[in-house]
Amino acid sequence: MKFLAMCSTGLGSSFMVRMNIEDIVRELQLPDVTVEHCDISSAGPESADVFFVAKDLEEATAGLGDVVVLNSIIDKDELREAVKAAAVRHGAL
Amino acid sequence: MLSELLTEEKIRFSSDSLTWRQAVTQVAEPLLAAGDITPGYVDAMIDSIAAGGTYIDLGYGIALAHARPESGAVRTAISMLRLTDGPAPLLDRPEHAVDLYFCFAAVDATAHTQAMSSLARILSDTETREALRAATSAADVTKLITRFEEDR
Repeated sequence: MKFLAMCSTGLGSSFMVRMNIEDIVRELQLPDVTVEHCDISSAGPESADVFFVAKDLEEATAGLGDVVVLNSIIDKDELREAVKAAAVRHGAL
Repeated sequence: MLSELLTEEKIRFSSDSLTWRQAVTQVAEPLLAAGDITPGYVDAMIDSIAAGGTYIDLGYGIALAHARPESGAVRTAISMLRLTDGPAPLLDRPEHAVDLYFCFAAVDATAHTQAMSSLARILSDTETREALRAATSAADVTKLITRFEEDR
C-alpha cells in the first residue's frame, strides 16, 4: 500500500507530513506501506492508494481517489487517526 | 541540525502590528542580510502566498514561508519571526491567523531534507511546540531547540 503526502511545491509541508506518516506507520507496525511525497500537480490517481493533503488544497485533489484532508499538517494526533482509518479502509489494520 | 541553522541572530520578535506581506518580508530579513537568499526569493514567497498559497499555514498559528530553491536560495537557512502583539493573517483571512512565521530556504535536496525533518519533529512535538510559542526571547528559542535535539 502506498501513502502519498502532497503540497503545492512538493518541498515543504508534504515532506513534513510524510515524515510524520512514516513515524506513525512504524508506531502502528503497518506492514508493506510505502510513504512518499510530491507536488500535487505531478500526482495522478495511480500514484498512490491514499493521498494526504492540507485542507487548502482539497479542491485540487478531485479525481485522485482516496484523499485524506488534514486540518493541520503538524497535528500528529489528527494524522494518527487518519492513518489508522486509511489502513482500516485498505485492509492493512 | 536545526540548532545550527536557527541561531539567535536569525530569530526576531516584533510587537508591531503587521500585514502578512510585512511579516514575510521581516521574517526573511535576517536571511537576506546574511546573503542566504536573494531579494527575488522574498518576492517569490510573497507571490506564491498572494496566488492563494495559504498552504504554508501549518496550523497552531505557525506558518513556514518558502519558495523553490531556484527562486534565489543561496544557502540552506531558516529564520523565525514571532509576533507578540497579535497575528498577521495570511491573505487577511482570519482562519489563517499566523503569529509565528518561519522562513525556509534550501539549496539542495540533502540539506533541505535534514533541516526540514528537524523542524517538522520540533513543531509536531506538542510540548516543544507550546514551549516555542511561549518563548519570549531568541535565547529561549535556541535553548529549547538545543534541548529537544539533545534529548533525541
